[in-house]
Amino acid sequence: MAGNRMLTLVRLFALQSLALGALALTVALVTGSAHIYAVAILTVVIKGMIIPWMLLYVMRQIKVDREVEPVVSIPMSLLLCGGLTVVAFYLTQPIIFVGGAIDTITKNCLAISLAVVFIGFFTMISRKKAITQIMGLLTMENGLFLAAISVTYGMPLIVELGIFFDILVAVLIMGLFAFRINKTFASVDTTILRRLRD
Amino acid sequence: MIEYLLLVPLIAAALCYPLRSRRLIEAAGVAGSAATLAVASLLSYRVFTSGTMDEGLLYMDAFSAYILMLVSLVGLMAVIYSIPYIGRENREGVITDIKLRNYYLFFQLFVFTMLLVCVSNNLGVMWIAIEGTTLASAYLVGLYDRETSVEAAWKYLVICSVGITLALLGIIIVYASSIQVLGESSSALDWSTLMATAGSLDPTLLKIAFIFVLIGYGTKVGLAPMHTWLPDAHSQAPTPVSALLSGVLLNCAMYGILRFHMIVSGSSLGPGFSGGLLLLFGIISLGIAAAYIVMSKDYKRMLAYSSIEHMGIIAIGFGFGGYWGVFGALFHMLNHALTKTLMFFGAGNILHRLGTKDIGEVRGVLKVLPATGILFLGGALAITGCPPFSLFLSEFMVVVGGISSGDVLGVTLYLLLLAIVFAAFLYHAGRMVFGEPAGTAGGEGERSRVDIVLMSALLISILALGLYLPAFLNDVLQQIVRLFLGGSA
Repeated sequence: MAGNRMLTLVRLFALQSLALGALALTVALVTGSAHIYAVAILTVVIKGMIIPWMLLYVMRQIKVDREVEPVVSIPMSLLLCGGLTVVAFYLTQPIIFVGGAIDTITKNCLAISLAVVFIGFFTMISRKKAITQIMGLLTMENGLFLAAISVTYGMPLIVELGIFFDILVAVLIMGLFAFRINKTFASVDTTILRRLRD
Repeated sequence: MIEYLLLVPLIAAALCYPLRSRRLIEAAGVAGSAATLAVASLLSYRVFTSGTMDEGLLYMDAFSAYILMLVSLVGLMAVIYSIPYIGRENREGVITDIKLRNYYLFFQLFVFTMLLVCVSNNLGVMWIAIEGTTLASAYLVGLYDRETSVEAAWKYLVICSVGITLALLGIIIVYASSIQVLGESSSALDWSTLMATAGSLDPTLLKIAFIFVLIGYGTKVGLAPMHTWLPDAHSQAPTPVSALLSGVLLNCAMYGILRFHMIVSGSSLGPGFSGGLLLLFGIISLGIAAAYIVMSKDYKRMLAYSSIEHMGIIAIGFGFGGYWGVFGALFHMLNHALTKTLMFFGAGNILHRLGTKDIGEVRGVLKVLPATGILFLGGALAITGCPPFSLFLSEFMVVVGGISSGDVLGVTLYLLLLAIVFAAFLYHAGRMVFGEPAGTAGGEGERSRVDIVLMSALLISILALGLYLPAFLNDVLQQIVRLFLGGSA
């Protein structure tokens, strides 16, 4: 959130994905279930390598300016994200501590995952560029992945595979549209997309 | 057996890819959709007569078969309508040959994803399919190289992807609650299994999950206030795609919500919680749609808001619940799909002849396009719920459902908003159809006979359904109602 360079943003996303992969690997080691190993490897390869590479490629092609251009200033964003994290912890307290509804070793991560989802959402609404909106969506997606790992030890393998495929295609298509926005409007600033209204 | 159904559109899409001739591509598209309809009818007939089919990941009961028939039927009509429509734009140089091929290719992929939504048993796979519908149709929405098309497609992609991400959170929570009961297996996300064990799922988790799913898939259904992508996408997409988006994609997303509604209704919460939320969002959608229909300036946008209105009516019907509420809402899904397809086809003809989407500039359609004018007017009467069209019947059934559930406020609001929509929609449609043409730049007369035949068939079928409900359809709808009420009884 504090990063004001696009490049940093993509690298941070890659780092986050690698950390998620490591977490998935830990869970796999503890529970010994084979499909989480597969998920961990897929996370590292797809989210940690392929998607950041695709994003960097798009950015290089459309020669996007390096600056992020926030709608909300960076100190204010940091403050708001801190607030969102507190909200996430507050919201998940009853689920985590009361009753035995969820019983996994990593259930405390649910609060963190919700916070990541919120922050991703905030990135989408507070940053102007098409690429930063994609980044926001990916961050939300990472948050959900963390939630899935933390409350259920991961979804069934076929579902995980499908989700990975969907994300990959989504990034591909959004990248293509970023090209088209750039070609049609000579800018990737999404605030100019205001023509359609009643 | 069900997998053959899914293969058909994929094969058709693959066939489109190497073809270069326009005629051949169109033939592949129509053949693909016709084959899809044939296989879907066969499977549905089997399901309607001899019960559900369970094949592990794929599953069909009367409800999925019903939506499946809607998808393949509207799909076939839209692809037939595309031939003159897209062909004309191709000749006029609006779209290139490559785009024409991609159009038919993505059209088949889009139909494939919608079929997958209907027949998947696993809630996760259903999520993947619903996200797939967004990805496959984004290209179709942004087909034209106009600035507004790119904008509409971008909004569509971003808003729907975010919405659907929230729905995934809901699914994760459902999974978390079900592995407590069922243990860790992939069947713990199968909704047929979840239905059977709904009673023992944790109600708090289910509540949270349903809210996330309703918001997430509700974005895709176009329930207000998450509807903002819908008028843009519907007005910018090529007309056959608008018909497909409005007539069946919204129903598919609604199907996703309803599967959760059935699970939550079957749990210890009962149908009150999720039904109440559906009712609330339905009324809000109806209200917002009514306001925008009154003020509308662009007739394709007006049709899009009318879709929001009708999705609201369907949500309200399921929200009221009870025999008539559910029956009416289900019947309304069919009626709306047929009528909205008719309306978009009419709007497409008007757009091509007069070259404007502005309601204020369209006058005297009856003079310029006599057949389209009459059919468009008939469709407008039907979609606002005039008797003797079938939409009147289904909207009336929803009222009966509301009265028997004892929700006076809900019924009053519903009737009041419907009256506003009725007056406003007919006012705009009347101004377009009657009067003296402002100028006949493109000449007079219909351009193609195929679409008139299609539109007449649609109008006749909604008129016939309004006068007489065939025993077979009645039986099918009752089977589905039993699925809904069986869980809560």
